Amino acid sequence: MGIWLSRMLSYFGEKEARILVLGLDNAGKTTILYRLQVGEVVSTIPTIGFNVETVSYKNIKFQVWDLGGQTSIRPYWRCYYPNTQAIIYVVDSSDVERIGISKEEFHAIVEEEELKDALILVYANKQDLPGALSDAQVAEALGLADIRNRDWAIFKTSAIKGDGLFEGLDWLANTLKARGR
Amino acid sequence: MFTLFSGCIEHLCRKDQFHLLILGVDKSGKTNVLEKLKQLLTDLPGMDPSQIMPTVGLNVGKMEAFNSQLVFWDLGGQPGLRSIWDKYYAETHGLVFVVDATDPERFDEAKVALDKALGARELVGAPLLLIANKQDAEGAVDMQEVSEAFGLGKMDSIPCIVQPASAYTGQGLVDGIKWLVEAVKRSPRRYHVTARRR
Repeated sequence: MGIWLSRMLSYFGEKEARILVLGLDNAGKTTILYRLQVGEVVSTIPTIGFNVETVSYKNIKFQVWDLGGQTSIRPYWRCYYPNTQAIIYVVDSSDVERIGISKEEFHAIVEEEELKDALILVYANKQDLPGALSDAQVAEALGLADIRNRDWAIFKTSAIKGDGLFEGLDWLANTLKARGR
Repeated sequence: MFTLFSGCIEHLCRKDQFHLLILGVDKSGKTNVLEKLKQLLTDLPGMDPSQIMPTVGLNVGKMEAFNSQLVFWDLGGQPGLRSIWDKYYAETHGLVFVVDATDPERFDEAKVALDKALGARELVGAPLLLIANKQDAEGAVDMQEVSEAFGLGKMDSIPCIVQPASAYTGQGLVDGIKWLVEAVKRSPRRYHVTARRR
């Protein structure tokens, strides 16, 4: 009875999804989180720990966790992995020097057993900056094509201008819904 | 003894897994084809065509059909993203190339993309199913014309056919995939392609 009722409710009510926003420090994760939530650019300081907000979009309630990206606190990311439906991996497309490190971190995440069913959405962020790599270049640099057994997508974004963020969320919403049926 | 016996049974019942790569220029209907196949070959509903957005990455479709495990890789077809196509070639058993049959103006562009794929060393010998999609729409050119435009008549190095189809109505899709799976099973390539599990 309880199961039946909660199923009925989930039909009419909003679905919920737990999303982790990961990436190196200074990639723009916190700016993206608040751009999605309040629609504005807020001034941020490097995140030590995490920020969590709920973003309702397309009938899905995204619980978005933005985890600090500094080297010393990356090991704590894994504490947040269980029950995650999707990863938003943020790359500073203008930081060509550290894209190799970003790739290593990305692959560690993709290989994580607890995240094997999580969708992978990549934001090639900071497209407003000169010298930013294109989406195809970021895909290549991250080795996205090594992923063969689940859906992934990459979007060019500028958190400052607000470009591309909701296109990415559209993709997440659609793909999560298609899965849920 | 029991282990040996059950191992034998398992071996006999094991279905081969084949990777089928879906390529084509943007707007040709690759994702629609995949979603319709999900509907036709499995009990999954498949995504409604109105909800499908341009693919900017990879859609994976896994299904059991024709006595095999099929894994479809549907890749985005926008010009910038075509650079990732070749990363999937080495593990591909058979190629599905989707063409919008109502848009002959883009046949040249599509042919360049197809020829480039077929010229890749990693894809040598992979059977090709060319889907002349959108046959339900007015102005779709027929199989003959598509075959000529893509020079398939002259291709004798690999097994290939043109299949008129519509991802909206589903017409032609199952027949096409059935042919492709049979061709893959016969092709010597199936023994070279080794899958990384990732």
